[in-house]
Amino acid sequence: MAVELTQNAHVAPLPGGRGFGALTRPPAVLIAPAALFLTAFFVVPLALVAWTSVSEPQLGFGNFRDFFTSGYDVAVLLRTLRTAAIVTVCSLLVAYPLAYVAARSSGFLGQALLAVVALSFWTSFLVRTYAWMVILGVKGPIAALAVAFGAPPPRLLFTTFAATLAMTHMLAPFMVLTLYAAMKRIEEVTMRAAASLGARPLRAFLAVYLPQSVPGIVSGSTLVFITSLGFYVTPQLIGSPQDKMIAGRIGQEIDQLLDFGAASATSLILLATAVALFVVYNRFFGLERIWR
Amino acid sequence: MSDMKLSRRSLVKLAGAGALALPALRRARAAEVLYINTWGGPWEEAAKAHLFAPFTQATGIEIRTISPVSFAKLAAQVRTGAYEFDVTTLGVAELGRASQANLVDKYDESKIPAASLWPGAVTLNGINSHAFANIITYRREKFPNGGPQTWADFWDTAKFPGPRCLQNYAGRVLAFALMADGVEPAKLFPYDLDRAFKSLDRIKKDIRVWWSQSPQSQQLIRDGEVDIIGMWNTSAQQLVDQHVPVELVFNQAVVDVATWVVARGTPRAKNAWRFIAFAVQPERLAGFAQQNNYGPMNPACFKVLPPDVVRRMPTSPENLKKAVLLDAEKLLPELDTMAKRFERWLSS
Repeated sequence: MAVELTQNAHVAPLPGGRGFGALTRPPAVLIAPAALFLTAFFVVPLALVAWTSVSEPQLGFGNFRDFFTSGYDVAVLLRTLRTAAIVTVCSLLVAYPLAYVAARSSGFLGQALLAVVALSFWTSFLVRTYAWMVILGVKGPIAALAVAFGAPPPRLLFTTFAATLAMTHMLAPFMVLTLYAAMKRIEEVTMRAAASLGARPLRAFLAVYLPQSVPGIVSGSTLVFITSLGFYVTPQLIGSPQDKMIAGRIGQEIDQLLDFGAASATSLILLATAVALFVVYNRFFGLERIWR
Repeated sequence: MSDMKLSRRSLVKLAGAGALALPALRRARAAEVLYINTWGGPWEEAAKAHLFAPFTQATGIEIRTISPVSFAKLAAQVRTGAYEFDVTTLGVAELGRASQANLVDKYDESKIPAASLWPGAVTLNGINSHAFANIITYRREKFPNGGPQTWADFWDTAKFPGPRCLQNYAGRVLAFALMADGVEPAKLFPYDLDRAFKSLDRIKKDIRVWWSQSPQSQQLIRDGEVDIIGMWNTSAQQLVDQHVPVELVFNQAVVDVATWVVARGTPRAKNAWRFIAFAVQPERLAGFAQQNNYGPMNPACFKVLPPDVVRRMPTSPENLKKAVLLDAEKLLPELDTMAKRFERWLSS
């Protein structure tokens, strides 16, 4: 397949010879490196995973049937979706005001806010997970505060709350940056126009600003939701033992059960869920808008 | 200008050629290489000092290490035929699963002559190397009048209140659960799964977290996130060495054995077996085990170790009397059910 692609790149006849055609459409040669790369490192491995899911331990859809007939796997999938939804809503609640202030204040404050978000964005997930272990731990600042007020140190680590909090912290930057980009495109004059027509600030925000920021909300939510579907380390390290998400389940199927067929099937189901969300998004909003 | 360009280009070419030739040069120098999967950290330090370096010195075979130990990778490389490592160590449960999945090269006398081993050295085509004990460890200041001494005590949250932690590992935890329910160590295998899970139900809400990596187990008890923990004697001893106020209980220890295995189908199998034969010789193994508080499986090791060191080891004749040795062969038929049922139990 890879060979075919390169050959095509060379022999593909350019309509209109070396005239306008060559200038107006991207030559296949330019796409070839990306196409080759994706074929070798994405399409082929993915096809292998798909094949494994239907060929091990025996040919057929047994792995998928097992997934959907076992209440356990479905429950893990539903829990994963629910966690992703909660994290998305929490991120939105945290990110919206922040992005709003950053987008509307010119100068230092806006820059500083964005810098803080970016800094956290660039820090690895694992490092941030460990940071939360320290903050929420029995020797952490929260426990120390509780003790100072005479209360017993609260048990915060290894709870659903801890996992949700940490995941929100990790994914909120995606939301902030997407919202910020959308809000920067909202014309300031529309708000002034609303005010001059007699709208109080809250009314102006609800009737004029909020609707215009909806594309940002949708893009950010899609990004956060889909990214949190694949979370593995954070729920494992600081969530409650009952909080297993689907990525953790896949890890277990490979690491402990050596069940490559079931793991491949579970991976494909996760992938299908993410793709389905993208399709819905694309249908209503257009995929190219997600990065703008 | 054009001259400069030319020379720059040839320089780049020269450097490129050099870079290309480098691995070839390295290959030429060390004709033979063996890839060993290690646990990293203190384990690898000890292995380098007592096993790897002496082996290279004796045979000229270079050893490269790959860590961490990954059971899944062993399976993957036998499936794909691309070998990242040739030799690894497996615990009892993994050894059983590896043997079911046919991942391990078969042992016979041509690999290592029985005369250079000891009775019971070979289990399911693996060569028993060293043992580690899964023991009760508790924080001394939480139990000034003495902490839990048995698994029944560990389960007794009225007598010994406080958050607890166990390893996320069915093969070991089920043994604790059965002993907590009063099963005699001699009658443990194969596990009575219904009884074990019923016993686990009683402790579930008091287990705050199930650890999966040894540093994690150390952090949990060191920071006081939990008061009582079931952990490896090796990691617990490290805490003692760091002056963390913990008490180690060797009574009813569940002893798991690390066995050396050769990945089935590796092109370097011959040297792999040569290494294993070398690594379980009394002096080598004794040195390696002593450095990390493992218990050597080769009984001849105890002759070369000082008595006070032997006393700390989980396989010393003294300690082994109080402990349970996991039985790979008897556990074999239920490994799969056990692991699946444990996972479901854990997340429901």
